[in-house]
Amino acid sequence: MEPKEVLDELRTIFVTRLRFEPHRVADVTLDTPLPKGVDGSIGLDSLDFIELSLAVEDRFGIVMDDAQDLAPHFATFQTLCHFIAERATTT
Amino acid sequence: MKRVVVTGLGAISPFGPGVKAYWEGVRSGTCAIRPVTLIETDGFRCRIAAEVPDPVPGSPRRARADRLALAAAREAIDDAGLGAAERKRAALIVGAVGGGMLEAEAWYWHARRSGVAPRAVHALRSILPYSHADVVGSRLGLGGPRETLVTACSSGAASLAVAADLVADGVVPVALAGGADALTRICFMGFNALRLLDPDPCRPFDLARRGMSIGEGAGFVVLEDAAHARARGARVYAELAGSGTTTDAFHVTSPHPDGEGMARAMATALARARVAPKSVGYVNAHGTATLQNDRIEARALRAVFGDGAVLVSSTKSMIGHTMAAAGSLEAVATILALVHEPVPPTANLTTPDPDVAFDCVPAIARETAVECAISNSFGFGGQNVTLLFRRS
Amino acid sequence: MTPRVVITGVGAVTAGVTGGAAAVHAFLSEPRPALGCMADSALAARLLDGEARRLSRVCQFAVTAGRLAVDDAGLTAGDDVDLVLGTEFGDLRSTVEFADGYLASGPPGLSALIFPNTVMNTMAAATTIAVGAKGSSLTLNAPTVAGELAIVRATAAIAGGRASAVLAGGVDQIDPFLVSMLEELGTGGERQGEGAVVLVLETEAAARERGAHRLGEIMGSASGALAARPHGVGRSVRSSVVADALAAAGVGARDLGVVYVSASGDRARDAWETGLLTAALGVDHERRSALRHLIGAHAGAGALGVVAAAEAARASGRPSLVHGVARGGSQVALVVGP
Repeated sequence: MEPKEVLDELRTIFVTRLRFEPHRVADVTLDTPLPKGVDGSIGLDSLDFIELSLAVEDRFGIVMDDAQDLAPHFATFQTLCHFIAERATTT
Repeated sequence: MKRVVVTGLGAISPFGPGVKAYWEGVRSGTCAIRPVTLIETDGFRCRIAAEVPDPVPGSPRRARADRLALAAAREAIDDAGLGAAERKRAALIVGAVGGGMLEAEAWYWHARRSGVAPRAVHALRSILPYSHADVVGSRLGLGGPRETLVTACSSGAASLAVAADLVADGVVPVALAGGADALTRICFMGFNALRLLDPDPCRPFDLARRGMSIGEGAGFVVLEDAAHARARGARVYAELAGSGTTTDAFHVTSPHPDGEGMARAMATALARARVAPKSVGYVNAHGTATLQNDRIEARALRAVFGDGAVLVSSTKSMIGHTMAAAGSLEAVATILALVHEPVPPTANLTTPDPDVAFDCVPAIARETAVECAISNSFGFGGQNVTLLFRRS
Repeated sequence: MTPRVVITGVGAVTAGVTGGAAAVHAFLSEPRPALGCMADSALAARLLDGEARRLSRVCQFAVTAGRLAVDDAGLTAGDDVDLVLGTEFGDLRSTVEFADGYLASGPPGLSALIFPNTVMNTMAAATTIAVGAKGSSLTLNAPTVAGELAIVRATAAIAGGRASAVLAGGVDQIDPFLVSMLEELGTGGERQGEGAVVLVLETEAAARERGAHRLGEIMGSASGALAARPHGVGRSVRSSVVADALAAAGVGARDLGVVYVSASGDRARDAWETGLLTAALGVDHERRSALRHLIGAHAGAGALGVVAAAEAARASGRPSLVHGVARGGSQVALVVGP
């Protein structure tokens, strides 16, 4: 899977699982930051991140290991899309 | 303000019915967390819990959580030796979360999967948390103020705090207070989904801890005006000398990282009881064994008591997190620690986390007399209750 | 000396009225029936960025009403501000949604965002975060009288010196699953409403010092439980709750002006309530619905009834009585002054 395809899937997840209005995620690009409090970010908190991990696991078949430090992968949509694209077992 | 004392205890726990079985189990450091039997657990990382063993007393037509509440409430009222006249004036404050969800879920699961909806009345009758209070109140003839409190994991403790206020304010001379919860699919699945459950029995304060275990049960206490208790020759277990109830108002699931609300709850309980931190010999911790809770609770304990100044143990290591029953079941354990002396241990604790600057009483109960003890219940999302008991 | 407890603010989010004291006063002056579900547009405008996404509907009711109440009172919340919220049904809709996620797709269908809403204190938790109230936060669950009980609890906390101010009220949401469940349980004609109403209660001294406006006073209150089967209506009308509330207020039955009742169309329960009040007061008092005939039965109706009672007390020069009784036997009475 290409990162850009992953981004489209993530947009859907943001609407269906994280309950964002579609127009809010339409503007999201690979460079949009993810963490809360960062300027230009989409504004997620710890509970959103758990939901996002669950949705990513479900949609892409990736098992997130709690022991790993996943924070760097969740820094921007770019890093997350690459992380997913490299590991996705379901398309 | 009247002095509030404990004159009756009742419990039904993963160790079976009765305070005696409960205290024996807790004192011996036995872990009652086992593979789940009540609900399906396929596909979940954690498939264990601390269930109340069969048979649960009471009619099978009654919701499980109502039966648990009734069993423990009855034992407490009988233990206190309250007659009909006293019961009529007694307040009833119940902590509840799941209510009759277990039976409602069974009905709903069946209805959704089969496409056929059987008559719902029987299953849905007791769905809401207030069911326990109405069942217990009507069966035991309790006619004073009746309230059901839902404050997530601290519901059982909140019920004791509110009941104590009623007695201290002189509204009623006697109150029955406690919490009850039965295992439910929603609770079990939800905590699984949040990755907060350990696939193995939980290990509070251990360096290798990985999350909670869920439990079920009910614990009730009779709280009474000390003068009223003395006048009728009631046996007094201990004094409920003070309580503190605070809210983090920080986040819906995460506690405040500095444990600010937790520390404030403890400080308030101490201040209201007029007890100095150094007089407290034992803390029955909230101790859920999540990475976050134990670390933050330890931080709060440090702020209030100073490093190493008090023994700390978690009953959840043995009976799991019994949700609405936790605060009251753990209060019962705390009261018995004051009365019978051994401070109960923390089970499954093999490598204490060095960040936790306290002796957490690994595995074996500690024979030591304690003058004052506190019980902490720090609910999901920052609902904090501390109860302070003093030897009577 | 027990401090006197006054009402210094109100926030209402209901089908009939959304706003603070001025809006509530306007509605009570010319009340119109407003049953049924609320338009979501009334809420959307009042929520902060991100709240509509993260708060379930019933939480949105409570947060909005809490904010309106705090603004109305001009209060700054902190460590010594408590919250007591009554509810009959909580966030049952989220519970059903959560279960549906699992039933549709197994474990991967579970939602971490929805899960916290499956515990009934979610509305209180959201409200404390929204207004910064860090004292004790309680959710009271009861049929019919949860809002009234919340105000009794709050009054006790202030009178007992445990809080400087308390936000107290009730919140409920109409849900189709709920409605069908109630039909099966046979609540005999009760009309459901939805919304949230939150009052701010403080000591009279604190209110005066702050220069806060005073909407009314809780002069006395009492609660108890009558003999009845769960969900049942009792047979006896003997009770000391009304007498206890009057005694706490230092007021006699003959001093009362208007009596507000919890009648809502549940014929058997409404009849029981009439019997209880007749036994306690005699038949001489003008009775007026605690608004449930207008805005439906929900936990917020009790709190709105207390405000209405205070206005009536101001108009008549006599204290009002707010009364409620629930199936299962919970009974509550508040004496409300101007």
